[in-house]
This record gives sequence, structure tokens and C-alpha cells, in this order.
Amino acid sequence: MKLLHTELLIARHFKNSVFKNPALYIITFFIGALLLFAAFSGWDNYKSQNETSEKYQHESREDWLKNPDKNPHRMAHYGNFAFRKSTSLSVFEFGMEPFFGNAIFLEAHKQNTANFSEAGFSNSMLRFGEISIAMVLQVLLPLLIFFIGFNAVAYERENGTLKILLSQGINWKQLLWGKILGVASVVMLLFIPTIIILVLIWLMLQDFSISADETIKMLLFILFHFIYLMFFCVVAVLVSASSKTSKKALVSLIGIWLILTIILPRTTQAIGAYLYEAPSKIQFTSNIEKDILKQGDSHNPNDLHYKAIKDSLLRVYKVDSVQKLPFNYSGFIMTEGERISSNIYNRHLEDLLKVYAQQNSFSKAVSFLNPYIAMKNLSMGLSNTDYDSYIDFQKQAEKYRYIMAQKMNALQVKYISNKKPGPNDKPLIIGKEHWADLEEFHYEPKSISKILKTEIVSIVSILLWVILLFVLIRIAAKNLKAI
Amino acid sequence: MLVLLFKNFIRSKGTKIGLLFLLIIGFISLLIGHQFQEKQQNNITEAAVYQKEHIARNAAFHKDEIGLLLYYIKFSLVNNTLPINSLAIGQRDVNPSIQNVTIRGLEGQKYDSELNNPSNLLSGNIDFSFVLLYLFPLLIIAFSYNIISEEKESGTWKIVAVQSPNTFFYILKLFYVRILSLTALLTLILLAAAVFLQIPLDQSFFVFYGLSILYILFWFAVCFFIVSLQKNSNFNAVILLTIWLFLIIILPAAINTYIINKYKVPEALELTLTQRNAYHEKWDMDKQETVDKFYKHYPQFKKYALPDTEFSWLWYYAMQQMGDDESAIQSKELESKLEQRNNASELIALFIPTLHTQIQLNEIAKSDLRNQLLFLKETTKFHEKLRLHFYPKIFENAPVNQQKWEDFKVETFKDNSETSFMKTILPLLLFNLLLIGFGWRNFKRKVII
Repeated sequence: MKLLHTELLIARHFKNSVFKNPALYIITFFIGALLLFAAFSGWDNYKSQNETSEKYQHESREDWLKNPDKNPHRMAHYGNFAFRKSTSLSVFEFGMEPFFGNAIFLEAHKQNTANFSEAGFSNSMLRFGEISIAMVLQVLLPLLIFFIGFNAVAYERENGTLKILLSQGINWKQLLWGKILGVASVVMLLFIPTIIILVLIWLMLQDFSISADETIKMLLFILFHFIYLMFFCVVAVLVSASSKTSKKALVSLIGIWLILTIILPRTTQAIGAYLYEAPSKIQFTSNIEKDILKQGDSHNPNDLHYKAIKDSLLRVYKVDSVQKLPFNYSGFIMTEGERISSNIYNRHLEDLLKVYAQQNSFSKAVSFLNPYIAMKNLSMGLSNTDYDSYIDFQKQAEKYRYIMAQKMNALQVKYISNKKPGPNDKPLIIGKEHWADLEEFHYEPKSISKILKTEIVSIVSILLWVILLFVLIRIAAKNLKAI
Repeated sequence: MLVLLFKNFIRSKGTKIGLLFLLIIGFISLLIGHQFQEKQQNNITEAAVYQKEHIARNAAFHKDEIGLLLYYIKFSLVNNTLPINSLAIGQRDVNPSIQNVTIRGLEGQKYDSELNNPSNLLSGNIDFSFVLLYLFPLLIIAFSYNIISEEKESGTWKIVAVQSPNTFFYILKLFYVRILSLTALLTLILLAAAVFLQIPLDQSFFVFYGLSILYILFWFAVCFFIVSLQKNSNFNAVILLTIWLFLIIILPAAINTYIINKYKVPEALELTLTQRNAYHEKWDMDKQETVDKFYKHYPQFKKYALPDTEFSWLWYYAMQQMGDDESAIQSKELESKLEQRNNASELIALFIPTLHTQIQLNEIAKSDLRNQLLFLKETTKFHEKLRLHFYPKIFENAPVNQQKWEDFKVETFKDNSETSFMKTILPLLLFNLLLIGFGWRNFKRKVII
């Protein structure tokens, strides 16, 4: 420890001087209270979200199985639901969750929207942001660091004590590192208890049985927040060291904070959205409808595409009418219709997602300039509340919908007689035991490897920033003057 | 004197950069508003074209069976977008401004969401209301946090104090210069908006303008109060930024969390499940029973008896109707929960100027939750009207080609609810007077040295 003796001394001294300021106790107490509030409301939210989602997922499954014997196509219209579930880290990072739809109704022929988002049921208040642990860590703590750190060197310079320090054989490098450690030690007094509470809550949420995947996510969450906060400690001390007066240091630091956390995130996303305009729902659906009509409309009896299918079936089976085919003809046609329409839908969806990706590309690129965006993206990714997770949920739901519809069509092709019942005949049905053939919808959150792949930009950006700061400290240590 | 103060203020490089930045971002917000307006317009045009083609095509396919035709065709209702909406987009980006409904069960269609990139929603729009709410205060703080304290710190204050007959008036003049420049900037942006976005200069525009001015004055009043405490510049800067942080981020977010947790809406999911079951179970139940329930709801249709066939459209639409009827309780509950949410947040907002301003601006621009709830109610009415029109036609199996399909154009809902002028203006006015009063008292109590 002899090695860092001077630095630690400076750090301890700085810490003591910070704690002489009564305002700090108030702020610390307040941020502590806010963290507790965030933890509590996050927990409450998570539990109620998952309880409702599980309850209704289960209920809708029971309802599905309870259906009596009927025509499988009726079941395809009866449909299923995909309810979105949160992962345990979302207690700490809400991310885009309030804007996600929570339920998708899955039925034959039709891709429904994900409905009932929190945002749809809120007034404009929601748009001011939300208080989560991540928000406190990512937005408020940096500002606190700046409030603590702006004085670090500038005040000594104003007072004239800086000259004394430097003339006593302390070099700039030691001074800078000492001050950085000093600021960091104050912040750790908030950060470490937060992390302990965080881990405890997280363990309790999963009843102390944790998976490797979740653990890695949690560890990365903690590690990167630690690096992120250290980043701000370094920036605070560097700016303080290079400012003539403490006022200048404070104003510059506030400016940096505003640009990084408030102005840039909104502006970059807005530029993306402005440059790449996404189609609205009505355009999107009408384009899909047009394309489906081009391919063939299974509801139009004279459609060319379906007429060709019919003719070839009749030829192969050597019969003169579809009623004489050995399987259910309309089930066969619906299988074909579902295949075509869902292909076209997926193609349009891919185009739409490409536009969204272009819109997001600006913010992604800017994460190299703005560690806040990088941190935010990474923590949203880890907590499964980012853009990709949502798209992933929707895709899983659509996949399930397709399987469900085609399974019901297959049952119809196989078991339903091809002879159309007359107006007074009983409808054609199959046994209810078939309903269990379709597995329950299960949403699988993205695994850590997938998350790391999508968030590689953020990780690289944070690491680059760390390297840059080390370089800056070196340059500063060489060039800074006492006056 | 005033001219000199103004010159002194505007000559600073920081001032010029600040004002220019705000002006540029103000104009950017208008561009974004304009794009939003255009998108809304295009959607409405698109909806009209789509509806016409869609009905014509389906009417040609299903010309023998009006019941089957109405299974397919959708009718659109548009939530009118005022030009002023571009200044405060509010919740209009989250909620769809067009509803597309068939005459089948409504509850399964009513809450269909708009297609959205959640990243855009999370970061929010840079509309004029953002510039006003977030950025104007920052500039106000930057311009006023060091009034007197800076001169004291540089040692020039004593010279000023000796030279001017009344130092309090001198301070007022300093504020006056700053207020004037920022109101001029605001007026410039809003005038440009009126021209560029073709906003009519009517009452709602002036209330919007007045509210914006009051909001700016509120922040000057806050600065005035803090300056009156006569602390040093660093203290002022920290405390003003903390106030900003509280009013713009922490309090709104905390209140939002409170409201969401207090009025949870599990009814939404309950509603969809109930609606689905209520309709589908009828397929396996006694037909007469379903139809009797339908007659009970609409006695006027008793004259149409249930045909003696396995399937009939009367039975089908009766089943669909039951989906809505039997989930009506949940639907009502959801509606009243959302109204409670809105009322509670409006009430709390009265005490938080930033929230109050945002909600009121959105209310003027018809882009808040209240407007959305009214639109949903209107959708129900619109749907009911279509049902009542088409039910008898379906039950009689009226010929498709004798219907005047071209009469079914896209309809528009105009939200004419008026906001009370007093409710909009009064809270901010009171806050301003209070802060100025306390600031004044502080100045009077303590000699400014």
C-alpha cells in the first residue's frame, strides 16, 4: 500500500472536507430515499406485471383447453394470447417497458398489434421519465459526482493551497489520482449499499435459485455501472483541474451533464426519426393487403392463384370436384393462405424493422460520443427492456401464432370430412383432446450471448472512454499549471 | 440605464450562444411538428382512399351476402388533429389517431395500438413544449443565477451600489432585460410556428401563448427568489439546477409512479379474455338463448326470428354482440380507472408548475389522455351507430348492391371540450406572485451589500 500512500492521503483529506459540508448529508439522504423508493416501486411494478401476465396467460390456456369438441378452424379463431413477462433485472431498469404492449391476441389469418401498454393508459406525465434504480445511477449520481467534484482542484487553486501542495513534492499525477479516489470514495458510500440492496432484492425475487445466465447479466450490470460512475469521477476532477475558478468548473460540468443525459439522447433519436420516416399502421396494413391481393386472395372464389391450385389438385387426384378429394379442401386452402399472408406480413415487418433500426442507428453511433447512451443501451439490454427484446417478444408471439394456425389447419385437413354439411346438418367437429396438442406459449428472454452481440457497440464505447480518460489524465498531469 | 444593461447582457458571448441555441432548437421543434402534422394528414387521406377501395372490393366479392360482407369491411373514425397539436404532440404519438372497426365485437378492436418504434417513444419528441418546458428554464437559470453574486465575487458590486440610487430597482432592471429577451424569443418562435404550421390565431393559440409566458415568468420568479437569498454563485447554480431537476424529472416521475401503482389496470387484460370467451362460448350453446339475450338488448329486432338453419347471421351477430355485452362491466371499470388516473394527475399537477404547464398545453392541443378517452367513447358511439344501421339490413339479407356504400366515408371526431381559463392560468399565477413576494421580502429585509 506504500505505493499509493500519497494518493490515499489526498483522497482521505478530500473525503473529510466533503463531509464537512452539511448539504451533502441532505443530498445523500435524499438520494438514498429515492433509491429506496425506486427499488420499492420497481419491485411492486415487476410483481404486479408478472403476476397479471402469468395469471392471464394461465387463464387463457385453461380456457383454450376447456373448449368442447368443435371444428379446428373455430379454435384457430378462438386463438391464444401472448402476455409479456419481465425479467428480474427489469426491477432496476424499466427501459422502454412502459411503451411496450403487454398482450397480443393470436388468431388465424391476422397479425394483431401488441396492446395495452402503460403509456397508452397514461397522460403526458409519463413522458417526463420514470424513477428507477438505473435512472438514479445513470442520471442523478453523475450530477452528484459533479456537485462534489467541481471543487476538487479548482478550489485549491482559488485558495492558493494548490501551490503549497505542489511545492511539497506532490506531483500532478498523484494529486489527480488522489482527488479521483476521494470523489469515488464518497460516491461508493452510496453505490455499495445500493448494490447490496439490489443483489438482495434480486435474489429474493428468484427465491435464491439463480441461473448462470441471470447471474452474468447481474454482474455485468453492476460492473458497468461501476465503470460508468468512475468515468464521471475522472471527468469531474479533470475539468476541475483545468478550470481557473470553481465557478467555471461547476458551470462546465453542469453543461456536460445536461448535454450527455438530457439533450443528446433526445436529439439523436429525434434526428433518426426525422430522417427515416416510418409508415403508420394504416399504410403498413394497406400495403400488406395490396401485396396479398397480388399473390392471391383465398376469399375470392375466382382468384387465379387458388384456381391453379385447385386445378392441379383435381388433376393429381383424378377427380372432377374438390368435394371428392380425400382430404378437407378448405383446410388445405387455408394452409396455403396462411403461408402466403404470413410470408408477406413478415416481409413487410422486416422492412419496417429496418426503418426502425435506421432510426435507432443515430443514437447507437452517438453512444461513442456519449457514455450515457452506451450505458443506458447496455443496461436496457441486460434487463430485457430494450428495443431488441421487444421485437424479439413480438417475433416469438408471431411464430407461435403461425404454428397454432397451421396446426389447426392440419387438423382440419386430416380429420374434417370434405363434404360440406347442408344447412340443417350438425357442424363437423373433432374431439377436444386435440387442443392439448398445441403447446402453451412460452416467452424466452434473450440469452446473455445474444445481448452482448447486440450491445457490443455500447461495451466498446465504454471501454474506449475508459482508455481515453487514462490518456487524458496522463496528458493533464504533464501539462497542468498551478496558477 | 436600461439600454446599457441590455447591451451589457447581450454582449456576453454566453448569452449570444444561449439565445442562438434556443432559437435553432426552437425552429427544429417546428420542423418536427410539421413532419408530425404531415404524417397525420397523410394518414387521414390514406384512410379515406383505403376505406373506399376496401369497401368497393369486398362489396364486389360478397355481393350476395351482406352479413358476410360486413364481417370483413372496416370503417374509420379519425380523431381530428388541430394544427396547434404540432406544438405539443403529447400522447398523440403513442395513441392512434385513427380507429378502424368492423361491426363485430368492439372490445376486441377498440384498444388496437399504433405501430411505433419504442425507442422514439422513450426518448420523446422534440416538440415546442419540450423546448419550452426543459430548455427555456435552463437558459433562464444560466442567465440569472449569478445576478449580484457575480458582481460581489468580482468586487464590482460596491461600485454599483454606491452609484445607483436604489439597488433593488437595479436588480429588477437586470431581470427585466432578461425577461424581455426571452419573451421576445418565445414570441418569435410562436409567430414563426403560426405562419409555418398554419395555426389559426384563435383563443386557444393565445391561451397557449399566455401559458408559455407565465411559465417563463415562473422560472424567472424562482431565480428571483434564489437571488434574493444573496448566496454565492456556486450555491445559486447548484440549488437552481436541483430545483430544475426536481420539477422536470424527479417529481413528475415520482407522481407518475404513484398514480400508475395506485390505479392499476388489470381490467384491460381481464376485458380481452372475457370478451373472447363470451363470444366464443356461444358457438357451443343453445342458439335461441343467445338470440333471446340479443332481443333483450335490442327489443326493436324481435321481429326477426331465428332461422331454422345451423348457421344464420342473426345468430352470428348476436354472439358477437354478447362478447361486448358480457364484458361491459370490465370495460366500464377500465374506463373509470383511466378517468380516475387522469383526474388524479391533473389535480396533483395543480401544485407542480412544470407538470401543470405540460398537461395544460396538451389539453389545449388535444393530445392528452382526456382527449384519448373521449375518442374511445366516440369510437363506441360510432360503432353503435354502424351496428344499428346494418343490423336490420343483415337480418333481412338486403341486397348488397342497393346499399349506398359511397356514403360511408371516413368520419371525424372533433373534441370540443373547453378548458377553463382560470384553471389553466391561476396555479402558475399564484406561484409567481408567491415567489416574487417572498423574494421581495428577502431583499427588503437584508441590505444588499
